[in-house]
This record gives sequence, structure tokens and C-alpha cells, in this order.
Amino acid sequence: MFSRQRLFWSRDPYDLPGTDEKFVRATADNCAYHMEKCPQYRQLAEGLNFSPDQLKTVDDLVKVPMVPTLYYKRHAMFSMPRWRMAMKVTSSGTSGKFSQIGFDWGCVFAEVPMVLRLGWYHKLIDLRPTNYVVLGYKPNQNNHTGVTRTMFGLTFFAPPIRRSYALHYQDGAYVPDLDGCVRALERYAKSPFPTRVVGFPSYLWFGLKRMEELGVSLNLRPGSKILLAGGWKQHYAQEVDKSRLYSLAKKILGVEEENIKEFFGAVEHPIFFNACPRHHFHVPIYSRVLIRDVNTLEPLPYGQVGLVNLLSPLIKATPTASVMTDDLGYLEPGSKCGCGLDSPYLTILGRVGLSDIKTCAAGAADLLGKGEGL
Amino acid sequence: MIFAHGTLLPDSELSEVLKNLPGELDDLRQQESLDPELAISALDSLGGRLDRGELDALIAQFAPPGALEALAQVRPMLTQENLEARLDLELGPDFRSPQPRPFGHSISLPLGTLFHVAAGNVDGLPVFSAVEGLLTGNVNLLKLPREDKGLSFAVLQALTDQEPKLASWLYAFDTPSSDHATLKALADLADGLVVWGGDEAVAACRALAPPGCKLMEWGHRLSFAYLSRWVGLDADLAALADHIVETGGLLCSSCQVIFLDAEDRAEGENFCRTFLPVLEEAAARRYRTPGQAAQATLYGYEHYLEGLTHPDRGSDIVFRGRACSLTLSNDQELTLSPLHGNVLVKRLPHKDLLPALRRQKGRLQTAGLVCPAEERVELTNLLARAGVNRITRPGHMSSTFPGEAHDGEYPLRRYRRTVDIEK
Repeated sequence: MFSRQRLFWSRDPYDLPGTDEKFVRATADNCAYHMEKCPQYRQLAEGLNFSPDQLKTVDDLVKVPMVPTLYYKRHAMFSMPRWRMAMKVTSSGTSGKFSQIGFDWGCVFAEVPMVLRLGWYHKLIDLRPTNYVVLGYKPNQNNHTGVTRTMFGLTFFAPPIRRSYALHYQDGAYVPDLDGCVRALERYAKSPFPTRVVGFPSYLWFGLKRMEELGVSLNLRPGSKILLAGGWKQHYAQEVDKSRLYSLAKKILGVEEENIKEFFGAVEHPIFFNACPRHHFHVPIYSRVLIRDVNTLEPLPYGQVGLVNLLSPLIKATPTASVMTDDLGYLEPGSKCGCGLDSPYLTILGRVGLSDIKTCAAGAADLLGKGEGL
Repeated sequence: MIFAHGTLLPDSELSEVLKNLPGELDDLRQQESLDPELAISALDSLGGRLDRGELDALIAQFAPPGALEALAQVRPMLTQENLEARLDLELGPDFRSPQPRPFGHSISLPLGTLFHVAAGNVDGLPVFSAVEGLLTGNVNLLKLPREDKGLSFAVLQALTDQEPKLASWLYAFDTPSSDHATLKALADLADGLVVWGGDEAVAACRALAPPGCKLMEWGHRLSFAYLSRWVGLDADLAALADHIVETGGLLCSSCQVIFLDAEDRAEGENFCRTFLPVLEEAAARRYRTPGQAAQATLYGYEHYLEGLTHPDRGSDIVFRGRACSLTLSNDQELTLSPLHGNVLVKRLPHKDLLPALRRQKGRLQTAGLVCPAEERVELTNLLARAGVNRITRPGHMSSTFPGEAHDGEYPLRRYRRTVDIEK
């Protein structure tokens, strides 16, 4: 009971060794809960010869049934009825189909200390009223994507005065309005309050390039920040060197590199990963990360590239204790970073099978989750 | 964007282009029909530019990695000689001249206007379809797929730059599928609608085509390998493994299921144990990046998990290899594989072959046949009678052969009509 809350309410958000025991206990409880409440998960776990009592130390976490994001996209799995959930969130579905993940109230309650502790640690919390430009989706009752929720959530680290959005919901679809965001930034630069730009890195890049073309150069108020979430998505081909993005942000908006904050997370693993001042994603206590061999799925040591496997006992509405992403990456020991954090850090290299898959085999488009109209 | 009159126009011109299109098409019809030689010579010249590397930059800009390799496969089909041979084969050597008939004579003419809808499954497909339309003298209206990042526009531009007279015969629109009004307007102008795609795309086009508009459907297909014996046929197994990994199960001609002419489940297990290392070797050779191997492993693992929860798959045996897998199932159905180097193995004694394949009639395409030489003729005939349209060596399932039919027929014949004229 409450093993999850004991983990999430722990004091130091990066003390992994100090929370190993709590993490393993909470994960065992989480798996036992899902095996009891979700028959589909129980079948998977039993088929993989897993039982929660096998989890004694962090080394045993490798045994937790690993569910690929691909599986969540093909099957909605829930361990409680809809009425008991706080919300249901979906992945962005860049490649066609999307995952549906339920969030229970206990999960929301556990997220609060996580977000506050990490927000405090990474200096995101500011009491000054702030203008927001969100280079992402304007929340709408028809939009259940995790990234929309995350970006909206990021606008509460400093009290919002107003928010301008790059993507507006009109007649059943989102329409982009980058020029509107540029105009908003020009207005906010004259306001006495700081501004925060929250958004996809690709949108920031396109926006800054657009402003450069228009000859716009602003100096946002001191204390202004750029908060980047959601990854590059379908714009991976344009992924630019981070240093180019930072120098353009400095040139166009007057925001220093130290005030550009990056986040990482996934709807199936909604843990608040923050980049350190050296732009590394150190693993916080709420998560453990394994890197798996691309051929055998066996765990790999530090420094070797493989599939990123994310573990957390956060969610009880959907079994997500061990999620196999389709990202490639590697882990390094925290000491190698030099920022002062000892927790290992994760580097994401990109998504597997990035090339647009095309098929003429009967039924394959559906299986690939691409859907297919005309 | 819109491609019309040999130039690219912005979407804002769409209503103007659509307004003028009926008149322009009627004007063209009143003239002599397009001489296929014009298209052949432009394609031949374009092929020459391709060989000299003059189009490499264009391909690098618009086409995905591996496009050059794919182009090299179809390149021989673009020579003047092969294009003319194709016209002769499909339309008959005398299609250009009137043919005497007891009542007078008959002439072969283009259908008129073809509306091509290519659902984006193979790069360059819209252009390929338009070229078939040009070879048969038709005006071609293309609806480009969402995935087309400019390749079709660039190739059409290169083609009309090469032969400006072709410009009046080619229109392309990257109109989204949701713009039903524009698609309907284009379909209303067409004498024939050519659709390439899956069931959903074909169904949508059936709804779009007005009565009287001829529908030409190039739907998705399933292919398989049939092995009556494999001991000692190592080269065939290696070629099959290479094909499976190379195409990833994504093509109509990709092997989805390896059918074994065997009754005994133990024989199936023996085959899997023999074939798995061969498949692993092909995967190790073909996958050049960790991402490719990871994708294969993920799809294989996901399929394995699906098996754990699927009520009908309890008896499956999964042989997991390095970045590949074989799943031995008890049923005899031709179904889609888990893709990406993960393939299904099923026992299908040849006495059961025909009824099993008939359950997928209309979807059958290629069979890669592995058997002793003395059985080849009999098994080939059986497969053909079951409805298979291509029977090849295992390593050639996705190879292109000049002069081959397409899904059992010669497409160019469908894009022409015969006019009978009484004396």
C-alpha cells in the first residue's frame, strides 16, 4: 500500500541509490495490481514467466514484462473502469495510430511532488506573472494528446498572464499560425513582464527562422525562458544541431542558453525528465532506464546504443511499468556529465524506422498503423 | 501545388485550373491523339540523363534513401526498345493502324482522360501510372498522395521540359483526400479512374467515380513461398531469406508466409530450426544501421506478445532469432506476416493448396517456388490454377521482368478502347 506515493514523495529527485528499494517495492506492487485487474496484462506477464515476487533488487527490474509502444497503439489496456480514472491521454500519433493511456487519481497525486521538486530543482518556478507563447496545440476538448497536456502544464510554473498558441482548433482541425505567434512575441517584448516560449523544438526553429527572414529581432524581458517539449516529431529531417538553435534563440529573442530548458517524456511514461545545464537528461528517482540490445533485447552496459526501455510504477489505470519505446539511445554514468548530478543520463538518438514506410502488401498499412485513405 | 501546362502553380489557382479544365480537355480530344513515340522518346532521354547522374540531385532531394537502388531495377523498362516492346506485347504490333474486320474496320484509341489516384505506397507510383497513361495516348490527371514530398512534381517537370508537347497531357494536384469537391470534379472529367491502394482507397474511389467511368483497380496483394522440399536446396533458402529481409514484407510480392508441403508438425519445427540461422545471416548482412535491426526486433517481439494474448494462437511456436523471427502456426491461411524480417511458417500439403489459396482469391500475387526440378511443372500449374499470377524463383519474388503482366493482366489494354467502323 502507498509504495508508489512513498517513492514519488521522496525528498531528493536524483538520489537513485537511496530510492532503489522503494522503486523496486512500488514496481512489484504496481505489477501485482495490473496482473490482478487487467487480464490481458496478466496473460502477457504469465506468458513471459513473470511474477512480482521475482523483484528483489534493481537488477531484477529487467524481468518486468516489457510492453512496446507498438502494442499500446494496437491495444488499449486498462486496469480500472473509465469512471475511476482522472483522464485518458493519447500519444500524438505522428505515425498514424496512437496509444491510449489512462491516468488514475493516485497517479495525478504522485505527479504533483515530482513536478514541483523537479521544477524547483531546475529553476522553472517563478512567482512573477508571465506571458506565454505556446508553439504547440491550444487545448481543446477533442484533443487528448499528452503533449498538449504537458505544454499546458508547463505554463503554470510562473503565473500566466495570457497565452498565445501556434496551433488553433478550427472546424475540426488544427491550423498553424506562426505569424500570430511572432506578433504576440513583439507585443510581449514591450510588456514589463517576462515571456516564456513553450513548444516543440521544430516549431521554435521554424519560428525563429521565420523571424530572421522577417528581420525581427527582440529582446525579451530578463527572466524570460524557452521550454522545449515533445521532440522533433515528423520534422526529424530538419533536426538541427542544438547549438545552432540556441544561438538563433539568443540572436532573435535575446534568451540565453541557460534559460532554454528541455524536457523529455512519453505518454506511456509521463515522467518529467529535465535537461541539466549541460543538456543531459539525468534519470530522476521516479524512473529507471534500461538500454536493450537491438538484436536480442538483452540489457546493455553504459555507452552502448540500443532500444530505450523506460520503467516506472507511476500509473495504475494502464499497465506501463516497463515500456519499450521505439527510440534508440544510450546511458552514461552521471559523473561523466560534470553538472554535479550523479544519476545516469539518457541520450536519445532518434526513432527506429524513421523513413516513411510504404507498403502495397494487403493489410500492411493497417498493421503499420498508417491508416489509408485515398 | 498544381502542375498544369508544364508549370507548377500555387493552390490559389485551383479553382481557375478546374474551371478551364473541361474546355482544355475537349480541345485536346478534337486534335489527333497523342503519339506514343513522343512519350517514349522523352522517357528514353530522361533515362539517359538518369544514367549520366544528371538527376541524382533531384532524387536525393525528393526521394527517400534507397530510391536509386529501386530505380536501377526499373531502369531497363524505360529504354526506347523495351517501351516499344511493351506496347507491341500489350496492344499488339498493329494497334496504330486500322484493322480490317468483316463489317469494315476497327481502330484503337485512348480511353480519353484518366484520373490516377495513387495511395502513396510506392515512391514514384503516380508518375509510373501517368507514364502508362501517356503511352496509351491519354490525358492524365493525377491526385498525388500525401506522402509525396515533391518527387512527382519534379519528375513531371523534367519530363515536360524534355518534351514540351507532353505538357497538355499531364495535370497533377496534391489535393488532400478530404477535399472531396475537387476530387469529384476531377473524377467527373475522367473516362477512366485508375486507383492504386488498399481496400479503403479502392472503396473510396468506387464511390467517387461516376457511373460510366471505367474503374481500374490495382489493389494490394499477398505473396508467399511454397517449399515442397528444402533439404539440399541451400542456395534457394538463402535467396528466400534475403528476399524476406530486403523487402520486409512490405511489397505485394513480398513473402508473407512460407508454406511447407508437409503434414507433420515436427517437420515444420525442423524447417524453422534450419531456416532461422539463414534468415539471421540475411538480417546481419542487410541491416546496416541499429535502427533497422531494432525495428525488426520490435516487430518480432510485438508479434510474440500478441501471440500470448490471442485465443487462436496458443499453439504457435515462435523461433526468435537476431533481428528476425519465424512463427510456426497450425492454420493453413495466407495472411499478412508480422513484417520486417519476421515471417510465418505454415504446413500446407499440396492436396490442400488450392482450397487454402482460394480463400484469398483476388489478393493472390506471387509464389516463390522451391522444389526439385521434376516437380516444378506440376506445382507451377497447381499454383496458377489456384489463382496465383506470378510464379518465380524464391530470390526473384520482387524482381521486375520486362514484359511481365501486372496482377494477371496487361494494363495498357485497359487504357485503350476499340472503335468499330462499318463500311
